[in-house]
Amino acid sequence: MNPSLALQALPLVSPDVDMRLLLPELIVSIAGVLVMLADAFTRKIGRRWLTGGLALAGLGAAAAACFALWALLLFATVGMMLMASGGDLVIIFLGLELLSIATYVMAGFRRTDLRSNESSMKYFILGSFSSAFLLYGIALVYGGTVTDAGGAGTTNLREIALRVGEGPYPVLLYAGAAMLIVGFGFKIATAPFHVWTPDVYEGAPTPVTAFMAAGPKAAGFAGFMSVFLVAFPSVAGNAGAVQLHEAWLNTLVVIAILTMTVGNLAALVQSNVKRMLAYSSIAHAGYALVGFVAAGAAGDAGKQQEATGAVVFYLLAYAVMNLGAFAVVTLIARGGDRRTEIEDYHGIGFSAPALSAALTLFMLSLLGVPLTAGFMGKVLVFRAALGQTEQGPQYAWLVVAAVVNTAVSAYYYLRLVIVMFFRERMSAWAAPRVTASLALALALTAAGVLYLGIFPGRLIDALRVAETSVGRLK
Amino acid sequence: MGRYLLTILILLPAAGALAVAGHALAPYKRETHYRLVALAFSAATFLLSLLLLGGDSAAPGFRFEQDVNWIGAIGAHYHVGVDGISLWLVLLTTLLVPIAILSSWNAVEKKPAAFYAFLLALEAAMIGVFVSLDLLVFYLFFEASLVPMFFLIGVWGGERRVYASVKFFIYTAVGSLLMLAAIIALWSYFDTFDYPTILRALAEGVPYSPRVEFLLFFAFAVAFCIKVPVWPLHTWLPDAHTEAPTAGSVILAGVLLKMGTYGLLRFNFALFPESARRFAAFFIVLAVVGIIYGALVAMVQPDVKRLVAYSSVSHMGFIMLGLFSFTEEGMQGALYQMLNHGVSTGALFLIVGMIYERRHTRQIADFGGLAKPMPWFATFFVIASLSSVGLPLLNGFVGEFLIMLGMWTSRVDFAGWMNPRVVTMIAGTGVIWAAVYMLWMLQRVLFGRVRHPANARLRDLSAREVGLLLPLLALMLYMGVYPRPFLGRSEGAVRVVRERVTNSIGGGTARLESKSELKQ
Repeated sequence: MNPSLALQALPLVSPDVDMRLLLPELIVSIAGVLVMLADAFTRKIGRRWLTGGLALAGLGAAAAACFALWALLLFATVGMMLMASGGDLVIIFLGLELLSIATYVMAGFRRTDLRSNESSMKYFILGSFSSAFLLYGIALVYGGTVTDAGGAGTTNLREIALRVGEGPYPVLLYAGAAMLIVGFGFKIATAPFHVWTPDVYEGAPTPVTAFMAAGPKAAGFAGFMSVFLVAFPSVAGNAGAVQLHEAWLNTLVVIAILTMTVGNLAALVQSNVKRMLAYSSIAHAGYALVGFVAAGAAGDAGKQQEATGAVVFYLLAYAVMNLGAFAVVTLIARGGDRRTEIEDYHGIGFSAPALSAALTLFMLSLLGVPLTAGFMGKVLVFRAALGQTEQGPQYAWLVVAAVVNTAVSAYYYLRLVIVMFFRERMSAWAAPRVTASLALALALTAAGVLYLGIFPGRLIDALRVAETSVGRLK
Repeated sequence: MGRYLLTILILLPAAGALAVAGHALAPYKRETHYRLVALAFSAATFLLSLLLLGGDSAAPGFRFEQDVNWIGAIGAHYHVGVDGISLWLVLLTTLLVPIAILSSWNAVEKKPAAFYAFLLALEAAMIGVFVSLDLLVFYLFFEASLVPMFFLIGVWGGERRVYASVKFFIYTAVGSLLMLAAIIALWSYFDTFDYPTILRALAEGVPYSPRVEFLLFFAFAVAFCIKVPVWPLHTWLPDAHTEAPTAGSVILAGVLLKMGTYGLLRFNFALFPESARRFAAFFIVLAVVGIIYGALVAMVQPDVKRLVAYSSVSHMGFIMLGLFSFTEEGMQGALYQMLNHGVSTGALFLIVGMIYERRHTRQIADFGGLAKPMPWFATFFVIASLSSVGLPLLNGFVGEFLIMLGMWTSRVDFAGWMNPRVVTMIAGTGVIWAAVYMLWMLQRVLFGRVRHPANARLRDLSAREVGLLLPLLALMLYMGVYPRPFLGRSEGAVRVVRERVTNSIGGGTARLESKSELKQ
């Protein structure tokens, strides 16, 4: 896991296991496996099932086979791992591109479906645009880290941190950081860079949507946090660094509130379940950003560790419950995503009790009802944001905004539950046959949601124990 | 055994819920089995809860305590315990649930397994709320009680059940979420969620400014005031009560509303005494408005169930009045009235449910002269109504009298524009209004000649129905004549809370030393 580059003098990843850097990769691996489980036997095109089984049995064999989806998924996973554990801007960008290109193609995989083509096209164009921003940002940061002695700039995160406030062109760093925020903001779908999300999520095949909602978001967050927490910290005594730190922190605060609000308000009026879940994932990025802000504003290494641990936990919880929700949506949508409107969910509650109970669990977890993973994630993130300083709880109003947004989100999460159980069905409906692999995916995610909600202790301890490279910087 | 009693009390109904659900999946199931399983589990829970009365139940501290590390990393413990206040509320819960199950014996048309499972899960959550001594665990159970109630109203409720259940859930959840923010803020100050630990730390020194204390107090208060409900946050209640199935209404009125007043007593008063003193006048005004408003609106309701729902608003106003009077009589009276309201309003909802089962209508205009075909029904109805009104010899009188005495002698500072005695007099008119709407309703429903032919041949109460009402009526009489066992056990715990708020030490009629103590 240690990317060794000739340029860097300091290894970013510490020798002992750093859970917080490892966890995103675990998340993306689990995401990949779960998606494969969900999709393996539900497609009917060609002899896909045969290769699906091969892929599950031996991951490496799939890359060589001619069925591209599994290869793409693996490429995407590699990309995410690079993003999450990268210690250098170039590596992170490499991972991002690998991930993005693989995802563009996966989104358009249903070649005969116009919506899938549209989704892929939109994602490709907007994604390339944002990658350009990211690359430009990297270039500006490189320029801004040129040393006074005339030495070359750097893209190594540690080195950047050491050089902030020292170089002859500080404004380049500001511009670069801004561009980086745009680039990453697109990837994790925060407002105002979120516009691609509903269309892309709605058009792509549902298992791919599930993957996109979980893996790339987690990886994007990991990359985002890596870059900003390591490369642009607040260094006491260095006025330039402090100002830059304040600047990006305040920007993120505004983005967090905007994201939460836009995501929730837009989700209220959706009639398509996939679009609703897309906007809900935007809102959740907003909640996770609250933790990110707390990590950025943390006074000491311990608090920062706690805050980043909270964000990682939140991402894991979010990935698990989102994957579960999408798994159920996949089943109910039938082949070809024919049934993804909310009307299709009317009255199915008691006809398919296990499925509906699972979906209810995931909706309640997304909402943040206690005993679920979503609640525990929110508690940890709010705790980090309310971390005590002498003047009183920091960012209390940010937490209040998050709380109000959570209350608002209750409406659209409960709406699915309501139509499933409280309304009668107009047309005939037969419960879909649940394949073994999908049942396994559902069982795993449901168990995960409950486990993280009731017994998160061990995971939280693991996130705390490891000494972090972030902490060692101070 | 003592340490595990409370956990058993929480887990037993939960296990019952699982048992009912599991039974539904079994191949040999029969529709009639679910209610028997549910009744067995809830009756067992009630019998076990009677053990709480044993031992030194008048002691002011927490008994049957159990403290287990849950999430060490964030300082959350599974810490439970009862004192004189929560003891009675737990008993009220465990008493009302089997009665509610009995009342739904023939009334659940669809999916009875899910119905009873939700009811038992709700019981577990409610008991958890009253016994938890850790703020996170309290919040957990508080929220957890919303989900089964949401389903109970939404699936088995009346015509406007979806609207009522969504309104109930979102309204209550908004308040609780604010409370969550406050709980986490408290955590960041004290690094623990443990209630007794925070109390001890507060006794040594308050780490935040009065303004921060007010914000925390406000956040907690919003959550609890929605639940009570305090006017003007009461608008969810009439719909939720009216549309819920009978068992749901009984539990909602009997227990869930008490979670609000319990929370105010347990958390707001003890954790934020300064703010409680400063804003007592405000809450008293709201309480009096609630009393009068609830009574006046109840008077004009054409629907019997809605009338009883608004009477709940009025009665909870009395309880709020007693709580914020900060006198021993007032607070004891408020606690006693919590129990009374649970018993009498629970009985009233049961009775309304019985007539609904027969006639499938709740409109007063459709009734009239029911005393002739159903004399037993009329008798029980009259007794329960009079208990709700506060007739001496019945339980309501003791509670209301104590509250009004407490308010009369209260030293709460109104900054000169109001006098506690005037407040008491205005609130006292609430008793008169209660008599007006109750007696008028009784006259229109029960007495006079039988106006509708459908009413002439109604079946009187069956043995089951008499059986489930008798314990409540017996309690009404017993609590009205001999309140000593109840008040004696709660005295110590109430005094502890009162002392924290008033900073005074002394006997039952201790007063605040001066009005300036309140103005900080």
